[in-house]
Amino acid sequence: MIIKANLARSVALHERARALVSAFERGEPPPESRDALACDIARFQADTIDGYSRLCRARGVNITSLTCASDIPAVPTDAFKLTRVATFEPREANVVFRTSGTTQGIEARGEHAMRDGTTYDAAAVAFGKYWLARDLAPGKVMVLVLAPSAEQVPDSSLIHMCQQFAKAFGHPASQNDTFLVQDGVINLSRFHKRVATATAQNMPILLLGTSFAYVHFLDALDARVGAYGHTPLPAGSRVMQTGGYKGKSREVPAAALRRELARALRVDEREIVAEYGMTELSSQFYERTLFDAASPKGIFAEPPWARVVPVDPNSLVPVADGDVGIAKIIDAMNVDSAVAVLTEDRVRRVVGGFELLGRAPGARARGCSIAIDELLGSTRSTREKTAP
Amino acid sequence: MIRSAESRATDVWRIVFSARDVAAARAAILDDIVRSTNLSREGVELAFEKHLELDPSDADIANLVAAAGDAERVTVVLSSNVFVGALRAIALARAASADVVVRPSRRDPTFARALVRAAAARGDSSLRLCENFCVASAQQGEIHIYGSNETIAEVSAKTRVKIIGHGSGMGIAWVSGHADMNMAAAALAYDVVAFDQHGCLSPRIALVEGDNVRATSFGRALHEALEQLGRKVERGTVLPAEQAEAERYVATMTYVGRVLVGSAHVVAIAPVGSPLVLPPPNRHVHIASVANAEAATVQIAPLSRGIITVGSDNPDSARTIAPPWARIARLGWMQRPPLDGPVDQRPRSI
Repeated sequence: MIIKANLARSVALHERARALVSAFERGEPPPESRDALACDIARFQADTIDGYSRLCRARGVNITSLTCASDIPAVPTDAFKLTRVATFEPREANVVFRTSGTTQGIEARGEHAMRDGTTYDAAAVAFGKYWLARDLAPGKVMVLVLAPSAEQVPDSSLIHMCQQFAKAFGHPASQNDTFLVQDGVINLSRFHKRVATATAQNMPILLLGTSFAYVHFLDALDARVGAYGHTPLPAGSRVMQTGGYKGKSREVPAAALRRELARALRVDEREIVAEYGMTELSSQFYERTLFDAASPKGIFAEPPWARVVPVDPNSLVPVADGDVGIAKIIDAMNVDSAVAVLTEDRVRRVVGGFELLGRAPGARARGCSIAIDELLGSTRSTREKTAP
Repeated sequence: MIRSAESRATDVWRIVFSARDVAAARAAILDDIVRSTNLSREGVELAFEKHLELDPSDADIANLVAAAGDAERVTVVLSSNVFVGALRAIALARAASADVVVRPSRRDPTFARALVRAAAARGDSSLRLCENFCVASAQQGEIHIYGSNETIAEVSAKTRVKIIGHGSGMGIAWVSGHADMNMAAAALAYDVVAFDQHGCLSPRIALVEGDNVRATSFGRALHEALEQLGRKVERGTVLPAEQAEAERYVATMTYVGRVLVGSAHVVAIAPVGSPLVLPPPNRHVHIASVANAEAATVQIAPLSRGIITVGSDNPDSARTIAPPWARIARLGWMQRPPLDGPVDQRPRSI
């Protein structure tokens, strides 16, 4: 009985969430406020997840009377590594995304399970298209992904998202023609063939990848074409860059990587758009540079259903506008997990969204005591931002 | 000139006697140490009383001498906070060489300075301070460096002389199936309170053999013991970055398991089977239940390279779960290892 009632609440909340996305896609005002939906989701999660109910009580928040989303107690991302963060039973999971492994091994991978993945897909595609391809008709852009396919890595939220982009607005193509990492290496021949095809058809390319994939890509390009070689992309092409390095390649500062990519692919640096997302979220954030000539790099736009709230790291209370805090992310698409997530990233609200300032430095343990980061390495989530 | 083991032991004993001199006259430097370590006054007193190795045995010193090696010159670069660690570091250096240079921690130089001066007063002319020692200028001998792994790597990159690094680490408590909960908790509380968990032997995680009910029972007992001990030995100053990590840990564990927040400590009981996490220092203990010693070994494996000591009510049982290099101690004695060599006995490859 309770399970059925919970399912009905979840279904209704998913419908409300998708209604926000639909309104955004149509350019209409939202049918309700983000605050109203997010607070209802928080109540649902407090009713169905004991841990969240405990967290609300411990933070002294009366969830019943909550009206402002920024007051919703946030679940630290670490919790996803230690327990299930879900309003439903494991057997009801429709999609499960996992963070990358850490030095703690596979057991320590964070898990974000979804009962209804369509809400994630709708939100990801709507906002991704808005900041990456809103000027292109569906099917008129070739989507290339510097990653293995979802068949090979079914639990990666990033690859899933890229697949959704390819399906939703990409020119139809096979998996092998879209996902260019095969057997662990970038298939550069196929990349060149695809670029040649797109150029012949006068079709722009949307190239998607992580920072470490781009480093390997540039290295491979140099090795193939010669140092400082380049492969011009067709006019109107753009590049999405996401994620940190996590020891998977040599580390290149974000600005240098962007410069190198722009040179190698003959695109403008403003056509290289950073995405900020993480496995624990269902929403993503994008730099505005492709469609907003006045927006500087490093400023990320939020969809109307999500909000980044900088909070004081000690009190977890929102800081004054313009001050730096830790990102507490309200994500109304996280219906069945955590509507408010506490990250370890430093942010500041600015006109047009938020500025990403990098990872909050872990407290270096004084004396010879070991620090968390030192023991576990800096690997955290699969999907983390590239600090601008 | 080749120094005999006896001569080296004599030099080490002189350092120990010098430490006794410093401890006896500590009133003059107590305030400075409180300021530089962020420990409370009681915390500094506790370190002098219980954690400064002033009564080693001849066998301990012989072992220390044997472990020290031999060098033309040793430069000791000290870290901060576990201020009494300077005794062991300088004793090891002095055992290894007749020419020892000490660079105290910039943040926490008081005890090391006092020790070197006390040794000089006792006639040791082979030991000297060099507050502005530049690693890149070292041309001979070896450098013994204490600090984070990051610092050791940085120093190593700047010099061609041999580096012996003593990096970061931690302790783990193993509460066996036969332990008396209250006694084990009371003993562990002393290990936790010492140096406010900023030592590389400080217990941060306690594994309790049995089910989660037993782990919770131990957690409650430890919570009570830390509350009581905290009244006698106040916690020192918690830095803002440490406070932020503490807030995050408490929020995480509130969601994930059960948290007992005391006046100046936190005890968290993890759900069965969840991966171990390292809580922040400043009297935070992460408790997990494990079915048996075999399960404990599996559970701690991902963290093992950071484990320097395992404390237990049952040292024999602790040996079965500990990494081979780890010191084994009784609960309450984790932070009081004999003066028999480096506290960190991990092989260099770890």
